[in-house]
Amino acid sequence: MATNVAIRRYRTWYAMLLRLYPRSFRERFGEGVAQTFHDLCREYRDSGRGLFGLALWIFFETSVGIVRENTTHMSQLGKTMLRVALGALAVLMVPIVASRVVEGWNWEAGSFVVVYVLFFGTGMVYAVIARKMDAWSYKAGVAVALVAGFGLGWSNMVHVADSENPANLAYYSVLAVGGVGAWLARLEARGLARTLFAMAATLAVIAVMLPSGAPPYLARNMAIGHVVFVALFTTSGLLFRHASLAGFPPQGNTH
Amino acid sequence: MAKKNAAQAPLTPAVLHILLALSTGERHGYGIMKQVQADSQGKAKMGPGTLYGSMGRMMEAGLIQESDKRVDPEMDDERRIYYELTDAGRAALEAELKRYRGVVAVAEGRLAHGH
Repeated sequence: MATNVAIRRYRTWYAMLLRLYPRSFRERFGEGVAQTFHDLCREYRDSGRGLFGLALWIFFETSVGIVRENTTHMSQLGKTMLRVALGALAVLMVPIVASRVVEGWNWEAGSFVVVYVLFFGTGMVYAVIARKMDAWSYKAGVAVALVAGFGLGWSNMVHVADSENPANLAYYSVLAVGGVGAWLARLEARGLARTLFAMAATLAVIAVMLPSGAPPYLARNMAIGHVVFVALFTTSGLLFRHASLAGFPPQGNTH
Repeated sequence: MAKKNAAQAPLTPAVLHILLALSTGERHGYGIMKQVQADSQGKAKMGPGTLYGSMGRMMEAGLIQESDKRVDPEMDDERRIYYELTDAGRAALEAELKRYRGVVAVAEGRLAHGH
C-alpha cells in the first residue's frame, strides 16, 4: 500500500519533471498539473493500490506532453521572431526613405544595421514582456514604456554626440531606474507602475536641475521634449496601475 | 479566426471528452479527468500531460475558460482552479455531435442496405 512518504517522493520527482515544460506553460498550468498528480496519488493510496504503476504511466505521459509543448513553443517563438523581424524591417524603412529624401541625412550602412538591431531588440522585449498578462492596459503600458525609453535613449545618444556635454549622460539614469525597477518588480503590473512613475520623476528632476547648455532656440524644444517624455512615462505608469487594479491575473498564475 | 474555426473543425478525442466533461458543470483538472473516465466507462484514460496540454489549446481557441469558483469543500484547496465551457465551446460540442449523428446516419443507412 502506498504511503505518504512514497507520495511525497513521487511528487518531488514529478515537480522536477515539470521543470522541463516551457516556462510559459509551467507558469500557467504547472501547479494544476502537480495538483492533479497529487489527487491521483491520493486516490490510489485511499483505494489501497500501489503507486509504482501509476507513477510510471504518468511520468511517461507527461514526458510526451513536455516534448509536444516544447515543440509548439519553439515554433511559436520562431513565428514571433519572424513577425518582429518583419516589423523592425518595416520601421527601418522610415530612416531609409528619410535618408534619401531629407537633406543632410547621411547614415552609413553600419548605422542602419545598428538601428535595425535596436528595433528588433525592442520588439522582442515587447513580445516577451507583453505575454506576462492578458490585460490590454498591461500590453499598452509595455508599449508606451518601450517607445518612450527607446526615444529617450536615442535622442540622448544623438544629443550627447552633438553637444559633447558628458553631463547629459545623467539622462541614462532614467533608463537605469527603469531597468532596475523592472527587475525588482519581476514585471508585475503594480511594481512596473511604481517604476514608470519613478522614471518620470527622475527625468523631471534631471530636466530641472541639469543645465542644458543649449542655445535659447534649442532650450524650448528640449523643454517640450522633457514634458513629452515625462507624460509618456506617467501614462505608461497609469496603464500599469490600471492593469494591477483591474483584477487581471498574471498569466503565471492562471493554471 | 481560431475561435470561429474551432466551432466548425472536427475535434480531437481529448478535446471532445473535455468538452463533454465540462458540459454538465465547472470542474477542476482532476474532476475533468474523473468525468472523462466515467463518461467513457473507463475506456478513455487521460493523464495530466494530455489534459492540460489540450486545455491550454482549448483556452487559446476560446472553447473553455477559468471560472470564478475556487474552493472545493471536499478537496479543501482554495488554490484549485475550475474551468467551464464558453459559448464557443458549447457550440463546438453541438457541432461535433451533429457531425457524429450525420456519420452514424450514413453508416446505419449503408448497413441496412447491405453495402
